[in-house]
Amino acid sequence: MSIEAGPGESQASPPPAGAVAGGRAAPPGEARHDGAVALATVNLTISFGPRPVLTAVNARIERGAVTALIGPTGSGKTTLLRTFNRMNDKVSGYRHAGDVLLDGRSIWHPGVELMALRRKVGMLFQRPNPFPMSIIDNVLAGVRAHRLASRSAMSAIARDRLAEVGLWDAVRDRLKDSPFRLSGGQQQLLCLARALAVGPEVLLLDEPTSSLDPVATESIEALIRRLTPALTVVIVTHNLAQASRVADRIIFLNDGRLVEHGRTRQVFENPAQQETARYVSGRFG
Amino acid sequence: MASPARALRPGGGAGAGPLPRRARARLRAGIREGTHIRWAGAAGAAVPVLALGFILLVLIVKAWPAIRYNGVGFFTGTTWAEGDLYGQPVRRAGVLVPAGARYGALPAIIGTLGTSAIALVIGVPVAIGTALVIVERLPRRLAGLVGGFLEFLAGIPSVVVGLWGAVTFGPFIARHVAPLVARHMPDVPVLSYFRGSTGNGQGMLVSGLVLAIMIIPIVAATTRDLIRQVPILPREGAVALGMSEWECARRVTLPWVGSGIAGAVVLGLGRALGETMAVAMTCGVVLSTVPGNIYQTMTTIAATVVQTVDTAFLDGTGFALRALAELCLVLMVITLTANVVARLLVRRVSAIALPVGRGL
Repeated sequence: MSIEAGPGESQASPPPAGAVAGGRAAPPGEARHDGAVALATVNLTISFGPRPVLTAVNARIERGAVTALIGPTGSGKTTLLRTFNRMNDKVSGYRHAGDVLLDGRSIWHPGVELMALRRKVGMLFQRPNPFPMSIIDNVLAGVRAHRLASRSAMSAIARDRLAEVGLWDAVRDRLKDSPFRLSGGQQQLLCLARALAVGPEVLLLDEPTSSLDPVATESIEALIRRLTPALTVVIVTHNLAQASRVADRIIFLNDGRLVEHGRTRQVFENPAQQETARYVSGRFG
Repeated sequence: MASPARALRPGGGAGAGPLPRRARARLRAGIREGTHIRWAGAAGAAVPVLALGFILLVLIVKAWPAIRYNGVGFFTGTTWAEGDLYGQPVRRAGVLVPAGARYGALPAIIGTLGTSAIALVIGVPVAIGTALVIVERLPRRLAGLVGGFLEFLAGIPSVVVGLWGAVTFGPFIARHVAPLVARHMPDVPVLSYFRGSTGNGQGMLVSGLVLAIMIIPIVAATTRDLIRQVPILPREGAVALGMSEWECARRVTLPWVGSGIAGAVVLGLGRALGETMAVAMTCGVVLSTVPGNIYQTMTTIAATVVQTVDTAFLDGTGFALRALAELCLVLMVITLTANVVARLLVRRVSAIALPVGRGL
């Protein structure tokens, strides 16, 4: 079940027509990444209770790129996102069919350790969710849980991650303070630093700026751009402008189906599906 | 209790008979502006403060001669004796007491602190664990059932628990548990209190365990309700970071409601310190001995009071009752101190301010 294939090659069970735009034919300016697949779903069907939320989704998330999941409310974007690090597993009534492959290996394979999977696939939520501990302990919470560093290396990790998200200068004098005194945007950056500190390969962002003001949104978006190609980023967003600003690739979901999958410019300017055209032009959703 | 009601009247409470028109208008205006609510609220808020102050005052006044007569010896002495209640009383330090009266409360104080400590050490982890399991693990229906049992357990009269402790639980511990523990405990300081003769099922350990059972429902039910209040988002954040369920509970869920849990523990501690019947039935009520190990019979402040109050009424000088008042005063002070210390501890530990009104 190994899917290491590049986006140009054909899949075992092809998604709806026109879903995958040719990767190799991409203009040179956009080829910032090697085009390998980091995450792939194979006929993924997910249901909570009797009704499926996602139906036979075949999506491929390119390594080192920002992929935006767009679609109207209830289209299954967040469900798909949360499946990537198995956050849905414990939701009551949850069932899945098909598979999700991380680096070609099923995330439900018995040999996959859930904690290790979640370390590799980090997540940022709709609203900042600092833990009830000091700022520095927040950054290091995951590092400690996974025992990734010695005690002496901790403070350097905290400093580097806070600097990486641009928060170091704002918090360097109050690392022991409560994170809840930070502004919303700063809290979200702190959560991002916390997610980055465990060294993930994939970062899942669930509408990360929906609770933030425009300035904070801008800094988060800039950060998302900087995180690639070292990281693979999947972002759920309701904001089409944001999707066009940050994403290399777009996956358009509607009613639990993957409707279209392609490069950002192609999806927005020249969508292959009528449904996509109607959504991106703002006629529904 | 009469004063709040009187305090209300000037504002125009439920006065008898028809009110003059102007008074009625004022009453209506007062209700509209909330003046009366404010008065009633203030009066209500004053009740606990006044009650506490009043009880303390009465105890001090009652106990004053005993405080003068006993002096520091009350805290260092180990003999609790009313003296010769039928002989000629003697006057010492300006106080009329029966000949040979000696009041040393050290065994009772040690017993109270010891049993409560055992109750906390055993009861609090179990209670918090129970609360976590109820909220995080059990399916909804089972959680409701277990929660119902907890509340039922909290409502069992202490005399019933005491009887069970004295008749069933104590002998069981003495026969099957204590000898095992005593045999394997190393002979080092502190732990040596777990060695030696294991007694007959009446003593500090059994009382402490019975108290643990009594505080578990209090702490567990409160903690369960608190844990339910913890927002889902930080917990999901912990899970998404790859923390185990236990790590999430320890680092996120419990700290989130840490001060509330500490409050619940203080409630439980208050219960344990003051619990009378169950302890009196399981501790042996041996008045004048400091127990040599945790299995020995002993007494607590509350057990001493309930055991000796009958005899104390026979003391023609009234001094035995005053000594009991002093003992109760000590219990009050211990409870209040525990309260204050717990609060200070919580303030130091939970230095992280939680979000207020941030919509989390």
